[in-house]
Amino acid sequence: MRQGLANREQRTGLLVLMLALVALVMGARAQDISFGGDAAAAAKKGHVLLLSDSADVAKGKEQVIELRFRVDPGFHINSHTPKDPLLIATVLKLDSGHGVDVLGQEYPKGAAFKLGQGTDGEVLDVYQGEFRVKVRVKADAGDSTLTGALHYQACDDAACFPPKTLAVKVAITGK
Amino acid sequence: MRRIAVLAVLVVTFGLLVWAGVYNLRQRRLAMQRAQTQIVLVKDGANGASGGGAPESMGTALQGKAAPAFTLVDLNGKKVSLADFKGRPVLVNFWATWCGPCQLEMPWFEEFAGKYKPQGLVVLGVDQDDLDMPKDKIAAAAKKIGVSYPILLPNKTISKDYALADYLPETFYVNKDGIVVEHSLGAPSKDEMEANIRKTMGL
Repeated sequence: MRQGLANREQRTGLLVLMLALVALVMGARAQDISFGGDAAAAAKKGHVLLLSDSADVAKGKEQVIELRFRVDPGFHINSHTPKDPLLIATVLKLDSGHGVDVLGQEYPKGAAFKLGQGTDGEVLDVYQGEFRVKVRVKADAGDSTLTGALHYQACDDAACFPPKTLAVKVAITGK
Repeated sequence: MRRIAVLAVLVVTFGLLVWAGVYNLRQRRLAMQRAQTQIVLVKDGANGASGGGAPESMGTALQGKAAPAFTLVDLNGKKVSLADFKGRPVLVNFWATWCGPCQLEMPWFEEFAGKYKPQGLVVLGVDQDDLDMPKDKIAAAAKKIGVSYPILLPNKTISKDYALADYLPETFYVNKDGIVVEHSLGAPSKDEMEANIRKTMGL
């Protein structure tokens, strides 16, 4: 009886020790992921994210779907029609075929953004936060994938990143 | 005895978990504070640490050191070397045609180049568009922005030599002895730019 209790205590002790070790390892990993990992991940960030990942459409019929994108807080990208011809317009290029045809696109209007508050800087036409591009498609029945790329150039108030391309991949289901 | 040992392990484990939680929270708060400071810096136009987690430029490491030598070609095909301006304060400004904040600050460089011409100030704009960007487009952009100082075309090594960040504009303020005395990342305010220039000239 006493031996049984001792064994149980040993097992409990071992279990607690293992839990403590797991907690320590997880804690250390969590610290790494939270801090060391953030910088590297942020460095790779393009500052624009595709929010849409799928859409259901009526098979064989022309239909408009919206592709939602989000620009990181504090950043902006030029609209599809920037006022300054030197600036790089946001352009969405989609591929037709593979079960879904792209028949047209409609970009949202940009918002005014004053360059250099308190200066005589020009007023830009930009997308900030979430923006949606309307895409007219015709899809076959079943599953297909709409692919393409968003070409854009991101800036904050004081600096600009080089032009970038974001891969677009949206699952389309024709029903 | 064993019960005490188990209890001790439990207490230590609990303590470690609490410590990890508190440490994590503190670090997150610090990270948030740092991020907010960066955003404020950008809004004020101070040495534009670009928010959003951009990697730090190594260009800051050049401060106090000799500016890397270069020989580039200007829009007229003429070779221009940093060494050509030995004994004069030089601003080396990296810019690109697609960069709005560059367009904002470049006219200020033009203005200060005129204002401090008697002190020998030289401004060099080094274009950072793709290497295949047509020269006439760069020239047209410089004309539209309104600058007349030399615009230089990049070579394949200058970005590395100056350890540039992956965003623009970026400027190195080089004194008459060829030492980088200031470095700005992002467009500074006009006042800060002039302060940097005056410091570069020893005024």
